[in-house]
Amino acid sequence: MAIIDLEHVKKSFGNTNAVNDVSFSVNHGRIFGLLGPNGAGKTTTIRMINDILVPDSGHITIKGQLVGPKTQRYIGYMPEERGLYKKMRVGEQLLYLSQLKGLTYGEAKKSIKYWLDRFDAGDWYSKEINELSKGMSQKVQFIATIAHDPDIYIFDEPFSGLDPINSEMLKEIIIELRNKGKTILFSTHRMEQVEQMCDDLCLFNKGKAVLKGELRDIKRSYGKNTINMEFRGDAQFLDQLEDVRINNRSTNFAEIRVLNGQDEQQILRKALDHVQIHKFEFVEPSLTEIFISVVGEDNINPKELA
Amino acid sequence: MPDLRKLSLIFKREYLTRLRSKTFIISTILVPLAFILIISIPIGIQLLSSGSHKTIAIVDQTGTIYPRLKKINADRYKDFSEFSDQKLRDMVMQGKIDGYIRFTGNMINGKSTPELIYSGGGGLSFLNNVKGDIREAVRDERIERAKISPEIRNIFEENINLATRKLTKEGKEEEANAAFYSAFGTIMAFIIYIAMFSYGAIIMRGVMEEKTNRIVEVITSSVKPFELLIGKVLGVGALGLSQFLIWIGATIGLLAGISPIATMILGPEMLQNMAGSQATARQVPALQVPSVDPIIWVYLVLYFLLGYLIYSSLFAAVGAAVDSESETQQLVFPITIPIIISIMLMPQVANAPDSTLAVVSSLIPLFSPILMVARIPITDVPFWQIGLSFLLMAGTFAGLMALSAKIYRVGILMYGKKASFKEIIKWVRYR
Repeated sequence: MAIIDLEHVKKSFGNTNAVNDVSFSVNHGRIFGLLGPNGAGKTTTIRMINDILVPDSGHITIKGQLVGPKTQRYIGYMPEERGLYKKMRVGEQLLYLSQLKGLTYGEAKKSIKYWLDRFDAGDWYSKEINELSKGMSQKVQFIATIAHDPDIYIFDEPFSGLDPINSEMLKEIIIELRNKGKTILFSTHRMEQVEQMCDDLCLFNKGKAVLKGELRDIKRSYGKNTINMEFRGDAQFLDQLEDVRINNRSTNFAEIRVLNGQDEQQILRKALDHVQIHKFEFVEPSLTEIFISVVGEDNINPKELA
Repeated sequence: MPDLRKLSLIFKREYLTRLRSKTFIISTILVPLAFILIISIPIGIQLLSSGSHKTIAIVDQTGTIYPRLKKINADRYKDFSEFSDQKLRDMVMQGKIDGYIRFTGNMINGKSTPELIYSGGGGLSFLNNVKGDIREAVRDERIERAKISPEIRNIFEENINLATRKLTKEGKEEEANAAFYSAFGTIMAFIIYIAMFSYGAIIMRGVMEEKTNRIVEVITSSVKPFELLIGKVLGVGALGLSQFLIWIGATIGLLAGISPIATMILGPEMLQNMAGSQATARQVPALQVPSVDPIIWVYLVLYFLLGYLIYSSLFAAVGAAVDSESETQQLVFPITIPIIISIMLMPQVANAPDSTLAVVSSLIPLFSPILMVARIPITDVPFWQIGLSFLLMAGTFAGLMALSAKIYRVGILMYGKKASFKEIIKWVRYR
């Protein structure tokens, strides 16, 4: 069941087409990744889903209702640029923000207490944000997002600016939320995060949704045309290979995408001439590779565009 | 239609967090103190300078001038008739006396002019006083000698004063105190001027704080930008209203209390001296404070509120357009122009509050808050002018608010973009 649905959504600022005829739907209980380079239109799309911006044309529905003040309540939104009132106390601030999301004073108070305790932050209630460390205020920010217990969570670049520990914690929370039947949509420009967490994805480039679907299907459809090679020796021979694209290259590892139907055995033979091979494996392409092939040299796979 | 529940949450936050802030408490106390200081400096200077004591030696060869001068000011004029010019010069140079005048018979005939030899201190007002005293003494002596009829002499001796009484619409006669009302209007207009700048700046900083803190995106995921803007403008407006009510209450209390307190501290004689000849004539025992019609306070508050609304919408737009305080300069400048112009026009308007210039300029909505407030205490502004100015200001506010809301809506989400006027005009056109 589609919980968020975009149909032919367009948004432009002056002469810039920030979002150009985008359609996708997010299903209930899934982790949905919006990915693409910076400036691809992810944030604009997310803002339209949150009814912060209004589309020039097209429709956005949430649980079947057109976006508006009512649908804003279903969503917990954590923007990429995070912030709180510096001079307000943690408790007051959270009360204010969750009441704006529709909770009554009593409900808000109860929920805030629960979450502060859960984050071992019960004694922060009357501290000013000024006094908190960055990590602590990130937790407060997170509570502000979830205190009204929404069905849908939207995180814009949630991992940017997080240290590895908080990053890992957030990942766990996202998966935990999904397991509770919540729907999560997040954007990122780092492909490996999508590979690790997402069920579905939509790939943005220059304001267009260039690829979308279930992560597993997408990868499968590209077939095992990528070589993961581990070796020891001089890696220079890689530069002499033709009709390939090399991603993720390091001194003893290379991810090689074979192009134009070149014989993979040829590559193996050439490699054996130069280095000692430890591993030579055919795998599904990484998302980075898929992204490059979609927006870059290879043409867009027509099957993936509805 | 804005969501009233959310609006009231925003309003409460904006109002209460600021009401409790140190800045509010301190400014509520300090601004009136600053005004009292500013007003009391000229009064104090006058008191001090009138107290400055100077001695003028009089060498009287006529025998009639000195007694007259002594009557006018015995402290200032001393009889030094037996002293030589050289001795008097030395005394002036040593600072024992401030100057001397030699009177000869020719001076009474008008054949020669009396000459003051003095140390050069005392300033213009001192010289004017001496000139007046001498003129009076010489004139009286000449009238005396001319042997004219007592009727004519009476005419000369009479001090002609203009007493003024203001007849109100209700048919009551009131003590007219043009100087007081003029000063009152000017002070109120200045307060509005300062308030519009400060409250405009509060709005601007508030908007900018939310933008640079990036909290605005969290909030606009719950409320419409317009609701946030209106809630903020109303909340800060309520703060201004609170401050004005505190000040007005304190002023009314002070005006009621000043007369007995001043009488107690200064004593009746001192007050008589301050009030001058008029007071002596009527034997006023206490300092008279002219009454302020309560409706004037109501107008003050209303003009402040409307003026605040107009200018705060502009300041909000600036706050939304910029990323940092330093960028505001260029954009704030055009907003300050009408405020500055109205302050520049104010002296003219206060001097001739019923002139065409005063009427027309005080009806211009961007000028009304200052110029109307300056006019109302001084003259009876016809009600149609007041009503019209309210209508024009309300209309201007609606128009500017609509414009500002468009800039605001786009601006708060624009990070790291230098907002030129051209850019801002583009924002207004966005959907």
